[in-house]
Amino acid sequence: MLMYWIALRSRTAVTDVSAVEAQVSVDPVDPVDPVLALAWQVLQFSAQVARVDDAVVVEASASERLFGGRAALLARVLQACQHAAGVLTYAQGPTSLVALGRLWADLPQAAPDDLPLQVLQAAHSHVPTLLLLGCRTWGQLRALPRGGVARRFGSGLVDALDRAYGVRPECYPWVTLAPVFDASLELPSAVESAPALLFGARRLLDQLQWWLQARQLGVLALELVWQLDARRSNATHVDAHHNGSSEGRLVWRTAEATRDIAHVQRLLAELLAGVRLPAPVLQLHLRSVQTQALSGVSGSLLVQDVRAGDALHQMVERLVARLGPQRVLCVRPCADHVPERMQRWAPFQGKHSALDGRDSHTPGKPWIHSDALYPTWLLARPEPLVVLSDCPQYQGSLTLLAGPQRLETGWLEGLPVLRDYFIARSPQAGLVWVYRERLQKDRADWYLHGLFS
Amino acid sequence: MVSSVRVSPVAQASLHAAVWPAHTLASTALRVLPTGEALLDAQLPGGGWPLGALIEVLQPPAVHSEWRLLLPALARSGTGLVVLVGAESVPFAPALQAQGLQAHRLLRIDTHSPDACLWATEQALRCAAVDAVLAWLPQARSAQLRRLHLAAASHGKLLFVMRAQASLQDASPAPLRLLVQPSMASDALAVQVCKRRGPPLDGVLTLAARGAGLATVLAAGHAYVLDRAA
Repeated sequence: MLMYWIALRSRTAVTDVSAVEAQVSVDPVDPVDPVLALAWQVLQFSAQVARVDDAVVVEASASERLFGGRAALLARVLQACQHAAGVLTYAQGPTSLVALGRLWADLPQAAPDDLPLQVLQAAHSHVPTLLLLGCRTWGQLRALPRGGVARRFGSGLVDALDRAYGVRPECYPWVTLAPVFDASLELPSAVESAPALLFGARRLLDQLQWWLQARQLGVLALELVWQLDARRSNATHVDAHHNGSSEGRLVWRTAEATRDIAHVQRLLAELLAGVRLPAPVLQLHLRSVQTQALSGVSGSLLVQDVRAGDALHQMVERLVARLGPQRVLCVRPCADHVPERMQRWAPFQGKHSALDGRDSHTPGKPWIHSDALYPTWLLARPEPLVVLSDCPQYQGSLTLLAGPQRLETGWLEGLPVLRDYFIARSPQAGLVWVYRERLQKDRADWYLHGLFS
Repeated sequence: MVSSVRVSPVAQASLHAAVWPAHTLASTALRVLPTGEALLDAQLPGGGWPLGALIEVLQPPAVHSEWRLLLPALARSGTGLVVLVGAESVPFAPALQAQGLQAHRLLRIDTHSPDACLWATEQALRCAAVDAVLAWLPQARSAQLRRLHLAAASHGKLLFVMRAQASLQDASPAPLRLLVQPSMASDALAVQVCKRRGPPLDGVLTLAARGAGLATVLAAGHAYVLDRAA
């Protein structure tokens, strides 16, 4: 089967051949490496991706049919990579060495025989000698007697030529993706305040985005760990994020798996605003705690179904991150006769409780008496009313209009409730809902419990 | 000397939507939601609550008539969330459900710091799953309200801001301001349209103060009281 190799190089990386010859050593685990980002991006087209110096080679013959032919595949690869790495140069070839040679020599259409020796990696150290021999191109080198070349320059050069002409198979340490994203970043200077950590974390999050795209995952939970400066660390400091050791951590999650790094970053910003650092931070680690395969978004056929704006869970998570879960509430109906126990305001539970009436009503039957005679506002706790000459007062003396509605319940729970509810009119506040406690025999206590519109 | 200016229908139709003759209501380009009160609809540009505009509801202290005014519209506004920001007391969901607002549509943000209220209101306006936002912002300044108005306009959301009657004196970017108070003379709700896109409205709109069910019970209660007095 004919191989199809594409070699890609980002223009923002090293551009001239002399620098390639200088063998720029790139640390393979550098987290913000543009070549690695490029390699991760290409992984969506083929599993055989390798990095060679500043370039990425990919063997894509097996993917041609899937993506609709060689030209369509190349266009897709270039489009994806331009998004990742900016301006690109590329070359194609039947073997990776030919593709790389065409890329580095900037001769995309050259025949392999015409490629200069300088772009054959294995020949780098022998180029001066070979030039003295009058040997300038791959074709001229190949025309030399094989046994003599192997004795004079070592078998590596002959092997490389064989691989370049497709006589021997090519094998690389292929780029693979770790199952868990775990990257660290040394901060250029010690960071004193937690919100400033966001600038470092942003670089790690960018890296995370490439990783998520390559693995086709969405992130559910992330962990950010920061290393405190040991010399200035206050070892006894313990709070929600620090346990007294030389590092602090923050775990945050989102309700639905997302690849939207902007949302993750906003949540992190809200959470970092509440963190107090006991010592300056030197290093950051970002780790994916939980991820989930992400299916594509299905669009709607009808235009009016599409509503612009954030998703519900994103809004709720932002609100919870800043205000706390006890401040973002949804109502749960409870089957009870006592008004204040008929509804329970509970922290919002993501998509399952909202906008799904059947689901939210499962804990109990909705409401026993769901009629319109209840007030629309309920006081958080009943307010005792002053009684002047047997008449309860709330912004003036109250006139009882309707009632009593007698309530006797709660004896089973040990909290007996014996109340007579009245609708009353206050001269200032309009209609109010008051009740008279009937537990005390000798005196009647009046309470304000609700306000009608 | 006052001369009446006649605007021919053709000339009027060719005007931009943001320009309207001073003696008529603006033909608003915004979508509107009927308020449920024919009397009020007739006095609002477009015939209802505008979607995507800040609507200010002003009330005297200790008056809480906002649900009476807003519930009929909210009940018909759709199936999305109704977000309540910074309400002073607890809304009673059984009563709201009985009047048509499903309880599972309610999302209450229980914060009272002015900054948090403003921020939460803006976040809610940006969310696609939200139909309406009700915010109690007694201390909001004009610039802050303007920002909310723009957020509502860019997302086409129903936004009501409840403020005190005293802020009637302050300038406001809201295109619609209503003063709501119980009528002193009769048992009714007096609604005064303080600002609208149209000619000023001097009179007071008198709406029934409460729903039919409650009114019946109160009438029966009166009869009962009278009975006992007799």
